[in-house]
Amino acid sequence: MSTLRRGIAAVKGLFARRRLEAELDEELRFHLAMEAAEQLRQGASREEAERRAMLKLGGLEATKEAARSARGYRRLEALGQDVRFALRILRRSPGYSGAVVLALALGIGANTAMFSLVRGVLLRELPYRQPDRLVVLHQHDRQAVTAEQLFSVPDLEDLRRRTRAFSGLAEYHSMWFNLLGGAQPERVQTGVVSANFWNVLGTRALLGRTFSPEDDRPGAQPVLVFSYAYWRRSWGGDPAVVGKTLQMNDHPHRVIGVLPPVPQYPDENDLWMPTSACPFRSDPHMIASRQMRGFSVFGRLGPGVTLARARQDLAAANRALLAEYPGDYPTGGYRIDATPLLAELTARARPTLWLLFATVLLVLLIVCANVANLQLARLASRGDEVALRAALGAGRGRLLRQLLTESVILALLGAALGIGVAAALLEALIAFASRFTARTGDIALDGWVLAFTLAAGIATGLLSGSLPAVMASRGIAAGIRAGGGGSPGQAGSVRLRAVLAGGQVAVSFLLLVSAGLTLRSIWNLQAVDAGFNPDNVLALTIDLDWAHYKTPGERRAFHRILLDRARSLPGVVVAAYSSSYPLDGLGRGIGGVRVEGRYTPGADLPQAGFRMASADVLKALGIRIERGRGLESADREGAPHVAVLGHALAEQLFGPEDPIGRRVAVGSGQPPVWRTVVGVIADVRDLALDQDPGNAVWLPLDQEPAIAGSLLLRSRREPAHLTAAVRAIVRDIDPRQPVGRVQTLATARAASLAAPRLTTLLLSAFAALALAVTVIGLGGVVAFGVARRTREIGIRMALGAGRGAILAAVLREGLAAVGIGVVVGAAGAQLLARLLARLLFGVPPTDPITYGVVALLLVAVAALACLLPARRATDLQPSLALRAL
Amino acid sequence: MATESEDLLQGTLDLLILRTLALGPQHGWGIAQRIQQVSRDVLSVTQGSLYPALYRLEEQGAIVADWGMSENNRRAKFYRLTRAGKRQLERETESWHRFAAAVGRVLRTE
Repeated sequence: MSTLRRGIAAVKGLFARRRLEAELDEELRFHLAMEAAEQLRQGASREEAERRAMLKLGGLEATKEAARSARGYRRLEALGQDVRFALRILRRSPGYSGAVVLALALGIGANTAMFSLVRGVLLRELPYRQPDRLVVLHQHDRQAVTAEQLFSVPDLEDLRRRTRAFSGLAEYHSMWFNLLGGAQPERVQTGVVSANFWNVLGTRALLGRTFSPEDDRPGAQPVLVFSYAYWRRSWGGDPAVVGKTLQMNDHPHRVIGVLPPVPQYPDENDLWMPTSACPFRSDPHMIASRQMRGFSVFGRLGPGVTLARARQDLAAANRALLAEYPGDYPTGGYRIDATPLLAELTARARPTLWLLFATVLLVLLIVCANVANLQLARLASRGDEVALRAALGAGRGRLLRQLLTESVILALLGAALGIGVAAALLEALIAFASRFTARTGDIALDGWVLAFTLAAGIATGLLSGSLPAVMASRGIAAGIRAGGGGSPGQAGSVRLRAVLAGGQVAVSFLLLVSAGLTLRSIWNLQAVDAGFNPDNVLALTIDLDWAHYKTPGERRAFHRILLDRARSLPGVVVAAYSSSYPLDGLGRGIGGVRVEGRYTPGADLPQAGFRMASADVLKALGIRIERGRGLESADREGAPHVAVLGHALAEQLFGPEDPIGRRVAVGSGQPPVWRTVVGVIADVRDLALDQDPGNAVWLPLDQEPAIAGSLLLRSRREPAHLTAAVRAIVRDIDPRQPVGRVQTLATARAASLAAPRLTTLLLSAFAALALAVTVIGLGGVVAFGVARRTREIGIRMALGAGRGAILAAVLREGLAAVGIGVVVGAAGAQLLARLLARLLFGVPPTDPITYGVVALLLVAVAALACLLPARRATDLQPSLALRAL
Repeated sequence: MATESEDLLQGTLDLLILRTLALGPQHGWGIAQRIQQVSRDVLSVTQGSLYPALYRLEEQGAIVADWGMSENNRRAKFYRLTRAGKRQLERETESWHRFAAAVGRVLRTE
């Protein structure tokens, strides 16, 4: 509190009060002296002259006061008085003040924390030079299986040549490589970029430098740039790492720089290298083929170029490409688009964060209503004091201001405490946000957030204080006229309190409905049949090194030994190797699928995700075979090429016909490799549990030896203990070969639900908070009503009214508020549901069951909250009640 | 000493101050003296209303004040008219004449 007083003193100092006072004093003294001299000149004695001068001035202090009031700092002084008085009043009832401050601290704290997320992720500028000029390019294909189509190297070169809108276009893709030269062989994710990438983004190296065009020439000495996070994590932030030479892909790579902590976007890359250093990207076929689409493109808009203009430019280039190379692009609906980088980076977080922010604002609204209700109740008991002050001459405006000052002070105290609440919540919220966005490094309780908190505090104080203050100051006149003793605000405040309680019920209903809907959605997601059985399956990612396993034969040999030895581990039921597995977050290869005898060049092909996997992979993953057979060990090199199709793809390709025995080809290779369909399997939700399964093709690993993939072990019991044994086997086969990510499929499945589960958890917590606050408010309204009607109840009981009738009468007041609140809340929930719709799975935003259950819950809890104080009414002794007033 | 001034309308006092200051910078006492002299002792400004009026006009930006030396070599606060004050004076002089003329017409009718 003394801080507050010092603050006010500072404000006064700011207005130079002392100086103005001194000047006023000097001016008036000068006046007196002149006047006295004049009187002296007219013949008065010295003493008489001074007396007359003073008389004419009309009293020194009175004149000063009038002058001050004309000057305006009077207002500030009154504020100081209000504040001092408010603090005194609030200190006198610490219980009330404490409860209000605590409620406000929770409400404002939750808002501060959520705002820091919204600001850090959605509103703050990206830490690049002129970040609003940055865009991401996308190719859209009418029937692409993945959300976006990537670009090929010739695509990008053409775009560079044919567009004018960009000051630079940069290429990007990400790969995993094995890095040697650190403490142990390490699997590192590496961003592979054109030399201008960091120039386009506008980021300078923290240490050393980023790439130059010379680094990206074919055959240049391979160089690496470390990401800030990887540098800190694996190299302890050692600056001496710049200049070191490390081994990668069988070549020495020189470390030339370290990046500053920019968002880990588009992927969480440990290292960065120029395209010339990537064995995959520098392959001549990759550089020449228009159909090897594996690269993202980032651009910086040229000076003065608008996004719309850039889009037109891209569309024109796109048309030219389609006309020039008709065979290389799917027909129809193929277009190139540019999206602002900020929108792209926050697309996933946006709906969730805005929803949660709206939620905490609503919670704060409920808290406001509750505080208003508390203040009304307290005013009823403070009526005498207020009436007395009114009678002593405090103006109505002044009283109103006094009451508002009290509530603003409470709210500011709550806001100060709320910053603590937010600081405590922030770490958990950052972990939460990291599931949606790479921008968590930009989240902090900075000046903007604190300014928001201050504004929220003042707004909360004014909002929660204005209704009671107006009620009170309106009631004063009535109270005085009635001869004192009346409680200002009592007459109208009963209805007002019911309205406030009803409003709280409405908002609570809305929040409970959204929590209920997300709960149902999570329920559905957890129960969804993903098409595979994740229990007791361990997945160990073992991506082979490009440099050491160049030929298919070398890879086959590794796969065979690995599987043989893994199969013999104790407890292992099935061992398989697959180029990827469901929900691994990496996705599958995508290719067009042709049917033999039905293919016309240039026609759109159904796209499908394909995997290369060893025999028994379906058993390891627990995927159901619907027709024919799965992959078998007989499907080896040299045997007839075969494929297994997912249900949806088989249906799309063959309709009601039997696909078994028909031949298909995957991808655009010429001549096509025709593969006999030997089986159809159930569809699997590969990418996410809430996404449709999509098309799938499985190919035998031996016939298509993948370089990257995971060992899948189905075990008799919890399989995590197998990890050490597998690591030993891999080390034994090839000491340079690291094991990448290790997780059980159950973990992968749970992790894929972590984000929606956390969102649900937060929504439920906020809704529970809202419900608790509302119930307390509701109970207060009923208790207030009982207290006010003690006498009436006494009379009615004395006249023979039964307890039941009294109870019903009292309850009616509270439950009417609940009923109206539920109806209004149901209408409001439709609005919130629109925000929510994108986050729901398998439940419509207007789900009647959720609405019904929430309504029942709310009515039941509210009835309970009303019942407790209502019982007090029926326990009244009529004689005591009559004497009480 | 005449006391008609007790009921001086607030706006009238402002007008008189502005008019007085149009002749040149003056301190508070000088303003009061001057009004009294020019009105031949009909209008006497009670200082209790003079200073609030001065401060109000200062807040409105019609006049500004500087500290200077008075005729008897004492530090005194001198007020002078701003451009906005000159405009206000013109406006109010005109409306005062209109007002006075209107009152005169009403009083002349029988």
